[in-house]
Amino acid sequence: MKGLSRYVQIFLVQLKNNWVREAVYRTNFLAMMASDLVWIAVEFTLFTVIYANVPTLAGWTKPQIFFFLGVFFSSDALFTTFFQRNFWNFSDLVNKGELDILLTKPAHPIFLSLTRWVNLTAAFNIVLGVAIAVRYADEAGFAGGLHWLLFVFWLLVGLLTAVLLRFAFCIWIFWTERGFALSRLYYQFFAFATKPDTLYPSAIRYAILTAFPFAFIGSVPARALLHGLEPREYTLIATVLTSFFILDAFLWKRGLKRYQSVSS
Amino acid sequence: MRLGWRWAALKNGLMDEAAYRTEFFIQILSSAAVPAAVQIVLWYALFKVGGNTEVAGWGYQELIHYTLVSTLFTQIRGGDHDFELQEMIRTGGLSNYLLRPASVIQFVYLRGVGAKLLIASMGLVLGSLVLAWLGMAPTRMPGAMLLAVLGNIIHYQISAALATTAFLWEEAYSVLMVKNMIVALLSGETIPLNMFPESLQWLWKATPFYLFVFGPTQYALGNWSNDEFFYQLGVAGIWIVAGWLMIRVSWGFGMKRYLSLGG
Repeated sequence: MKGLSRYVQIFLVQLKNNWVREAVYRTNFLAMMASDLVWIAVEFTLFTVIYANVPTLAGWTKPQIFFFLGVFFSSDALFTTFFQRNFWNFSDLVNKGELDILLTKPAHPIFLSLTRWVNLTAAFNIVLGVAIAVRYADEAGFAGGLHWLLFVFWLLVGLLTAVLLRFAFCIWIFWTERGFALSRLYYQFFAFATKPDTLYPSAIRYAILTAFPFAFIGSVPARALLHGLEPREYTLIATVLTSFFILDAFLWKRGLKRYQSVSS
Repeated sequence: MRLGWRWAALKNGLMDEAAYRTEFFIQILSSAAVPAAVQIVLWYALFKVGGNTEVAGWGYQELIHYTLVSTLFTQIRGGDHDFELQEMIRTGGLSNYLLRPASVIQFVYLRGVGAKLLIASMGLVLGSLVLAWLGMAPTRMPGAMLLAVLGNIIHYQISAALATTAFLWEEAYSVLMVKNMIVALLSGETIPLNMFPESLQWLWKATPFYLFVFGPTQYALGNWSNDEFFYQLGVAGIWIVAGWLMIRVSWGFGMKRYLSLGG
């Protein structure tokens, strides 16, 4: 318990530092918000164009798709707020030997390296995503009431998935010279998360539910909230996420053995 | 106009890409394959799962062809050199370039465009083969590629003008990101632009972004006549002149505010 409170304290200090930094660059803060709004508008326009031509898309009605977008935006915004910058900076920690200093601190180096930067601007998107989900919940057929607690649970599942997956993509920096290509690859694959998984042909769908579980970020949570999942799907989610956790932990240990400070 | 430093900048950019060949090809493959797959999946959901036979005048096969050809032109549009410009303004790195007898805007473009020209050359060969395989006229590919390259120039001009917002604010990163997102939708790389409902058609017609991907694809697929193509080349020419003016005005205004320590 004492260990946990120490981690909470460290995180609060990091949060405070980030708040001060964001407050200094106020214009950028507003510009980033505008950028997020445009991203959401672009996704909405895309589906508006499609639904101007067809009534349903692979069984999804327009309000259901917009509800899915709300879930997806808020889940992704959680990741962007708390983790995205840290993953982008992770390659620098390894390449420039900055990981050295984190290894000497009395806290887990993964915790320190993944909580250092907080993008408070993106927190606005969490609110916006939830607002979109709330706006379309009734029309989409979401039960509401206490089910909103499940909404929070599924957002956390989406966040956990994104963290484990992104880690699996960026950890290879211990073995490669530059991490940019793999980071970019992650964001290319991330495009699969922006559409409901039932749209995809079986081979791709299988891949995004197992080896590259991008469907757990928004699509599966939205389906779970609207229609519920089969027991085997819950088992699948638990198995895949546990496997990724074990893989990430293994690669981290192997990576640390390979780490040679500045020359790494 | 002396080509000396321009040629050297272009060559340096190409050599830089060649130094990281694996990463270069991973980037091309990932940026081409995944968005194309997502687009094809959308058509699959509309036609095979949804049972539609035609959507906004497009059949399943036609949309697959559109995706295959537009993916080539999507690789040519854009580039990251506009972000480099805004970073120079933000950090004050621009000062180093102001001392040199070369235009910084041209220099950054030429250094970054090498990779795109390489992709355009490969795309020209590959695109001609794809068109021949689809039973269309491969002779249209050079014209389509020319339009795509002009689109790349227009894109950079707009980006370079937008990058000057870094003179006013702390940085222009978000402005450029917003531009990229709008371009992704209105260039036609996500869906064919004539799928937009009538009431939203003005959205893409009001910008030059359709010249980047949608225009070249329409011409390559034979959906634009030669007359339409030459008309659009003229439109591209007008946008290039407008882009040049935008750069002159925005950089002229921005340089008056530049403090060398970050604008």
